[in-house]
Amino acid sequence: MKSDQFSVVSRLDGDAAIIYPKGYLNNLSGESLVIECGIYIGKGITKIVVNFGETNLINSIGISLLLQIIEDLRNIKGTICCTNMSKFLKDTFEMLGLMQHMLVFPLESDALKYLQSGEV
Amino acid sequence: MPFNALPVKDFLNREYELDYLKGLSALKENALGGDVLLEGARGIGKTELLEQLYRSLFWEDQVTPFYYTFKTANLKAIYFAKDYFTGFVRQYISCAKKDPSLANNAAEPLQRLIPAIASLGLYWLIDCIEDFQQHVNKNDLYWQMVAAISAPVVAAQKSGKPVVVMLDDFDAAAQLYETSLGDAHGLLSLFGESMRNNRCPHVITGSVNALETIFTDHSLLGKTEQMRLGPLPEGQAMQLFRSHLANLKITCPPGVPLKFLDILQGNPLYIRNLAKAAWKMRKLELNEKDLIECYSFEVSAGETAFYWSSVFSRCVQNGAKRRAMLKLLMHSVDNGGIADGDRLAMISGLNETETGELITAMEAAGIIHNQDRVLQDFSRCLYLREIEGREADYAKGKIESRYLPEQEEACFELVIPMSANAELVVAKAVEQIGININLDSEFLNYLQLALIEVCINAIEHSGSYEKKVFLKFITSPNKLEIIIENSGKPFSLDTLKEVPVAEKLRMGMKRGWGFKLVYSIMDSVKVERVNDRTRVILTKEITDKEVLK
Repeated sequence: MKSDQFSVVSRLDGDAAIIYPKGYLNNLSGESLVIECGIYIGKGITKIVVNFGETNLINSIGISLLLQIIEDLRNIKGTICCTNMSKFLKDTFEMLGLMQHMLVFPLESDALKYLQSGEV
Repeated sequence: MPFNALPVKDFLNREYELDYLKGLSALKENALGGDVLLEGARGIGKTELLEQLYRSLFWEDQVTPFYYTFKTANLKAIYFAKDYFTGFVRQYISCAKKDPSLANNAAEPLQRLIPAIASLGLYWLIDCIEDFQQHVNKNDLYWQMVAAISAPVVAAQKSGKPVVVMLDDFDAAAQLYETSLGDAHGLLSLFGESMRNNRCPHVITGSVNALETIFTDHSLLGKTEQMRLGPLPEGQAMQLFRSHLANLKITCPPGVPLKFLDILQGNPLYIRNLAKAAWKMRKLELNEKDLIECYSFEVSAGETAFYWSSVFSRCVQNGAKRRAMLKLLMHSVDNGGIADGDRLAMISGLNETETGELITAMEAAGIIHNQDRVLQDFSRCLYLREIEGREADYAKGKIESRYLPEQEEACFELVIPMSANAELVVAKAVEQIGININLDSEFLNYLQLALIEVCINAIEHSGSYEKKVFLKFITSPNKLEIIIENSGKPFSLDTLKEVPVAEKLRMGMKRGWGFKLVYSIMDSVKVERVNDRTRVILTKEITDKEVLK
């Protein structure tokens, strides 16, 4: 476990927002993630990719806040894609039955390709 | 009973005391000695010394020995008087005829012994029996008691041969009653007359604290000297243990240092019981590790456990008080004593008056302020079983793990404040503990997650005034056990309800994942309430795939 301070950065790629949470995803950091996504949703963005490549640890409060983002996107008929997840993170989401409520891709580029293909 | 003594070769280190007691009647006749109060820790060999004294006096025939042990069933005065009187008559005839079987045959009515008594020419004894029977017929309790207690004195005077009276567990005599418990405190003082007689030295045993109270009785004060029985020295303790093993056909190579025997603190009862435990566990050859295994059995389910359990039952009969006693005992063991007056009622769960009375009873029984490590381990086992509801095997395992060499089991303790990100300190700790025992890093991530969830549950929901979470990690080659404790509001797994994600989304209810994760990750999750604390016990069996090759 790396003890990195949590941070969240993001960028726009076409009509999709890509979010990079880094560090331990808990209540405080989860809130920042929700806010960051909320900003894009407020601007009319409906496609969000969360790249978990640098998320090393998560807790149930962080997970509940992720559920908040899923719900917000569902309300606007948007799409959430999760990428670069460690086996631990994938298994954790699997344990909770979250996988069927999000699209999971191995890499960020795979998710972008899917979103740009117009299948959404 | 008096003939159950150990073989002389196994009765070690008590020669001085035995010789002194054998000469007691001569000392008393010359007004140079009085009665003896035999003191010493439970199991140290007071009863055994009396039995050895009895056997020795019986065959030497200079004085007549009389041995009586106070029994709970005979504390009603009318039963006691009959039991004491008939016991004395049987033992007296047995000694006169040098026939031990007569002393042991408690079922035979006295009337049937009259021909034997007459054949010995002991007509005064027949008079005693008839007098006693008359008191019984008149239902005169006082004179039955006097006749019984003074029977040894009458015998000594009529025969000219001193009678040594041995009263085992004499503190129980303070509980003699007429019709209901506590209705006749003065009955004990009837022994005063008998004890003052210069032809009847008395040797008394019992709990020191209780006897101190008894000996404030005016009639008994100042007539008694104390004799303290200490533990066996290390070498003799080992010699006795090896002798018991040899009798039980168990070998123990001379090279085995038997260092673990030190824990028994030279107590002959514990030494004998440990040897018997080895026999019960079918050990044919004993090493140091076997000794720990046998000891763990002994304090959790063996004769030593049974012995202490009986002492506890005698101290408190009521179930709620027994539980309170165990809580106080564990508090005493964990804190090296029991001094924290204000919190004791909180610990016991009784009110302050009841708690005070309970502590007094425990002090009188000698089970508190006691540095006996065997008693402490027994108390631990009983606490695990009766307060925490564990199985005997679990308690045994816990005791075993306390004494097994460190490389086989390690224990780490950690206290974190209930503050933001404190759970990350726990995650870091479990990561390092896992590295120490070579665990796979991915497996460690799951353990970290489970621990984080339990900690944030405590931090968020307990409302603890201490604002601390106490953690203990116990690792062994095949198992990791993590105990998380915090004060505050009780928490129960029964209150948890599983809600599917879709339902959570529909209801806008996004929390409540924590223990689902913990359950998925760990092999066993147990939540207990111990005093004012919630204790969560997580266990995970470690299989080959979770260990780095």
